[in-house]
Amino acid sequence: MALTVGTVTEHEKGTGVLARARARAALIPDLLVDAQRIANTMVSGWHGRRRRGIGDTFWQFRPYDVGESMARIDWRRSARDDAIYVRDQEWEAAHTVWIWADNSPSMLYKSETAEVSKQSRSLVLALALAEVLAKSGERVGWPGVTGALSNRNAAERISAELIATDGGTDSSSPQLEQIRNRSELVVFSDFLDPLEDTLKWVDQAAQQGIHGTLVQIIDPAEERFPFAGRTEFRDPETGAKLTFGRAETLSADYLNLFAARRETLADTCKSLGWNHIVHHTDTLASTALVALHVRLAGEGKGTS
Amino acid sequence: MSFLSLTFASPLILLGLLALPLIWWLLRLTPPRPREEVFPPTRILEELGKREETPAQSPWWLTLLRLLMAAFVIFALSEPIWNAQDKGTASNGPLLLIVDDGWSTGNDWDERQTSALQIVREAENAGRPVALAFTSQGGQADLNAKRASEAEAALTAAEPKPVRVELTPLTERLQEGTGTDFSTSIWMASGIAASGSTELASALATLGAEETIYYAPSRNNTLALTTVANEPDAMKVTLERADTSVASSGQITAFDVQGRSLSSGPYNFENDSQTSEVRFSLPVELRNEVVRVGIDNSTSAGGVQLLDERFRRRRVGLIAGGNADQQQPLLSSLYYISRALAPFSEVRQAQDPNVVVSVPQLIEERVSTLVLADIGTLPDDVRKQMEGWVEGGGMLVRFAGPRLAGAENDTLVPVKLRRGGRSLGGTLTWGTPQPLASFEESSPFSGIPVPADVAVSRQVLAEPDIDLADKTWASLADGTPLVTAARRGQGWIVLFHVTADAVWSNLPLSGSFVDMLRRIVAVSNGSVAADRARNNATGERAEVSGAQDTVLPPLRTLDGFGRLGPPDNDTRPLKVSGQELPSSSIENPPGLYGTNDAFVALNLFSQAANLQVFDTSLLPENTVQRIYTAAKPVTLKPWLLGAALLMLALDCLAVLWMAGALRRAARPVAAAGVLALAFAVTVPDTARAQDKAIDIENTLRTRIAYVKTGIRDLDEVSRKGLTGLTQFIGSRTSLEPGTPIGVDIASDELAFYPLLYWPLSDQSPVPDAAAMARVDAFMKKGGSVLFDTRDQLSGGFGSSRVSGATQRLRQILSSLDIPPLEPVPNNHVLTRAFYLLDVFPGRFLDGRLWVETSVTDESDASRPARQGDGVSSILITSNDLAGAWAVEASGAPTLPIVPPNPRQRVYAYRAGVNIIMYTLTGNYKSDQVHVPALLERLGQ
Repeated sequence: MALTVGTVTEHEKGTGVLARARARAALIPDLLVDAQRIANTMVSGWHGRRRRGIGDTFWQFRPYDVGESMARIDWRRSARDDAIYVRDQEWEAAHTVWIWADNSPSMLYKSETAEVSKQSRSLVLALALAEVLAKSGERVGWPGVTGALSNRNAAERISAELIATDGGTDSSSPQLEQIRNRSELVVFSDFLDPLEDTLKWVDQAAQQGIHGTLVQIIDPAEERFPFAGRTEFRDPETGAKLTFGRAETLSADYLNLFAARRETLADTCKSLGWNHIVHHTDTLASTALVALHVRLAGEGKGTS
Repeated sequence: MSFLSLTFASPLILLGLLALPLIWWLLRLTPPRPREEVFPPTRILEELGKREETPAQSPWWLTLLRLLMAAFVIFALSEPIWNAQDKGTASNGPLLLIVDDGWSTGNDWDERQTSALQIVREAENAGRPVALAFTSQGGQADLNAKRASEAEAALTAAEPKPVRVELTPLTERLQEGTGTDFSTSIWMASGIAASGSTELASALATLGAEETIYYAPSRNNTLALTTVANEPDAMKVTLERADTSVASSGQITAFDVQGRSLSSGPYNFENDSQTSEVRFSLPVELRNEVVRVGIDNSTSAGGVQLLDERFRRRRVGLIAGGNADQQQPLLSSLYYISRALAPFSEVRQAQDPNVVVSVPQLIEERVSTLVLADIGTLPDDVRKQMEGWVEGGGMLVRFAGPRLAGAENDTLVPVKLRRGGRSLGGTLTWGTPQPLASFEESSPFSGIPVPADVAVSRQVLAEPDIDLADKTWASLADGTPLVTAARRGQGWIVLFHVTADAVWSNLPLSGSFVDMLRRIVAVSNGSVAADRARNNATGERAEVSGAQDTVLPPLRTLDGFGRLGPPDNDTRPLKVSGQELPSSSIENPPGLYGTNDAFVALNLFSQAANLQVFDTSLLPENTVQRIYTAAKPVTLKPWLLGAALLMLALDCLAVLWMAGALRRAARPVAAAGVLALAFAVTVPDTARAQDKAIDIENTLRTRIAYVKTGIRDLDEVSRKGLTGLTQFIGSRTSLEPGTPIGVDIASDELAFYPLLYWPLSDQSPVPDAAAMARVDAFMKKGGSVLFDTRDQLSGGFGSSRVSGATQRLRQILSSLDIPPLEPVPNNHVLTRAFYLLDVFPGRFLDGRLWVETSVTDESDASRPARQGDGVSSILITSNDLAGAWAVEASGAPTLPIVPPNPRQRVYAYRAGVNIIMYTLTGNYKSDQVHVPALLERLGQ
């Protein structure tokens, strides 16, 4: 019996994953969520946003503009010079980020070239993100499992809740009821459900005013289709079986279709202003985390 | 188990072939169960909606391949052997092995040796004693059985002997009894019937051995050169073969004394013909150079004939007194002599009856023998010349006649003659016509049968003298000398006391006359050499007779493979008595005997050999016949297994291909392979094609060439200069030369170019001899070379000062065949070939152009142009012509003129045009300059 390319793995549970997630998270600098979109949900926080605003920490001196409150003039600085300077503080604010990872059976798939299953990877990424955000003072929540938590040990509490609820909900999409508009939603999934279903809830979330980031976890086998010869394919979710005499002949068509799906998803995100990140399980988790960091911090869009 | 030449060591394994149908059935099974793969995006696959099943069976060719693979493995395991030698001997006692090692075994000696060695080794393994005898040992053969290893050593060292084997002594030894009870007797025969072959076979059979085996070659292709005859028009070599059943052909080659091949000729045996002839139609001088004739690729002493002086064709000059009557040739005094001499020597008849003219003429033609038929007193100077010639080694043969008989004070006779003659059997005489007495042993004529019907009716008489008997080569029955001879210096004077025609005797009509003349001619130069050989050997000055025994040391002898080499230690000196050489033997193998400058050639065959294949039906009944096996046994197992492995690899490739694995990789690889192949195929072709393209272009366009000196600046100026000249010629004349080309005289074909411009500088390399030979050939075939030393300022060619470039020129010209040179005279064709010029300037003005000296006649002086026949093959200037011609691509001149006179550049171009026109048209232009004179003559 020839070795199969892929296997179905066990569910990864919270604790171990959390440790790995913390290890990943330690590599990531404090995550500064793009402030532009979160003005309204802002809750006073303690971390700076690298721009002037309301806060305690000194940010910069700047020349006084006519019409500004005299109170803001920093006389000590102004006395050193002929000009009059205003003292600016760094804007310090917090933001609510909802994190959700797909927990469906298809996520348990792991091919021989991948290091871990998609579920494992997505959980690690989700918890790492939660850890990073919580450390940065953001409010983090898992829809359907926890509310928005502002504690620094939010990731720990989320993982505890996940263990308690056995991985959270089995639904194929996050529950959007809890989420207030203008919140950030980060979804980890393989998006292998019918595309219409996915697009449907994405659309609904966008209408709620949620800004989302879809992290598409892909097993390398799914994108390379390394099958040849007579092969029987089994769907881990539905159990449907499909036999092909020469699997290699399907390769080109399958890859086209798969890429088309990915493109559709990416296009939808682009049109909604959402982020779409593709992550393969044969690469390092940190790469996805860095990408997420870049997108959430808005660096990728050049905003300041 | 064996059939054909294939033997199986384990034939039972072949039963495995019965399993092939089972394998076939197994191979035809449906493909294996599919791999089960969990695949989350199965839904996407569903969307593809395609279903494809592999065929239920593997393709037929794959099945066939695998079946073949199985069959090969089975065959390999049964250990097949090609040409297996399981022809061992059955019995266990002592073994008698008689190996033929005569001359005819040289061609396939390896096979014989291999077969014999195999038998001896088998005997060694079986611990059997072996008695080994070679037929060339004859009665001395050792018939005692010894350890097989000793026989093996003797056999390994054995070589064929260049002798015709006598089997009788060995047969007698066998018949006497050997003292050993041989259980096996084997005769490895040559296959050629020799005297005593049958007797030897029956002697072996009666030896009482358990088995008697007779080995013979499978096909007897023994060939021998039997005779060589130097005929008037060609050298005729006769070949003979033993097996006349099939046609065969080949080639024989004649070599000179240095071993160089002089000529080759094909021979061709028709069906059933035993002999064949090859004729070497070479000039006599070349034929006389031949010392060895050999069959190509023959390794047998019979395939070689050695030639000595006896095979040379002598040139004989004939002069007759009186008017040769052309109307009645039979009455001509030279008719019989020329008829007698023509078959074995080259006869030159005097063209002029005047001896004053004809004698020096014939001596000039290097005749070795001069026959004077009835010539009396010679003019003094002719006589002196002839005496000198005789002293120097000439053979003068004179025939008597009325003029000789009447001559006074004739010194060119061997004996004193009485004036007048003697008439026998006439009306007024007592005596009857005398027959010949038998020839003395000491006479060179000894051995020639004395014709009974020869009668001499008239002769000149010798004065009785003390040494008359010694000088007499032949005499009449009454004792009067008929032929006398005397030595003069290195040469001989021989006198026939009768006429050369049938008037005084009927000797010229007899066959003996031919033999006598032949001996005499043989005594001339050539035989002088052989004679000298004898003299050297005996250490005394022998008479020409050669009657006594002389002993010649071996010089070089043939070995059994027909190779001429230094003689063996046991080669004895050749004892020669009389005119005929003894036949070759084991002590006197064929070869050259004598000294380096005078030797006789002893050959294996000197007449038809009548080779016959030994008829095996003459063998005793219980004799087993076998053939020598050339091929060694070949074990087929590794080959079969290798083939099976190859098929396995093919199978793997096929399976991979069917699985699609090769598809991605195959395309680039295949493309690369095809590319590499195409590259490999085309690379040498392109070079050749390029060469060809240049050749074709050269044949279509006349172009001027310059010699690439290897100095870049110089070559560049040459190229630009010839380009400028080409442009000038194209615009001013009807000639439109192609682009000038630089040639490498060492490698490029020069035949296309009318003119080679060869600039020189003091750094110019001097080409090697081969390159200069090419230039020499180019010049001799009508090409011209224009040397330009470009050093007019520093002296120039032809002046007393010698610059570096001129030195180079001298070095180069030293290896060429250069005719005398002169500066271009005023009326040379060069001055009129296109423009009327009196100087040939280049960048410099004063240098002169040198050409071959043309033959001058006084009558030429008045002509407007010289009658230059052909074109001067060499032109030398020092004016740097190319420097003046050189133009840039823009049309501007490259180099300045010295002195800076623009007119001079125009003259330089004109000089170039004249030179080109001269090389192209030659003396045609010299005719053209006569046009005014011709027109004037025509009255216009």
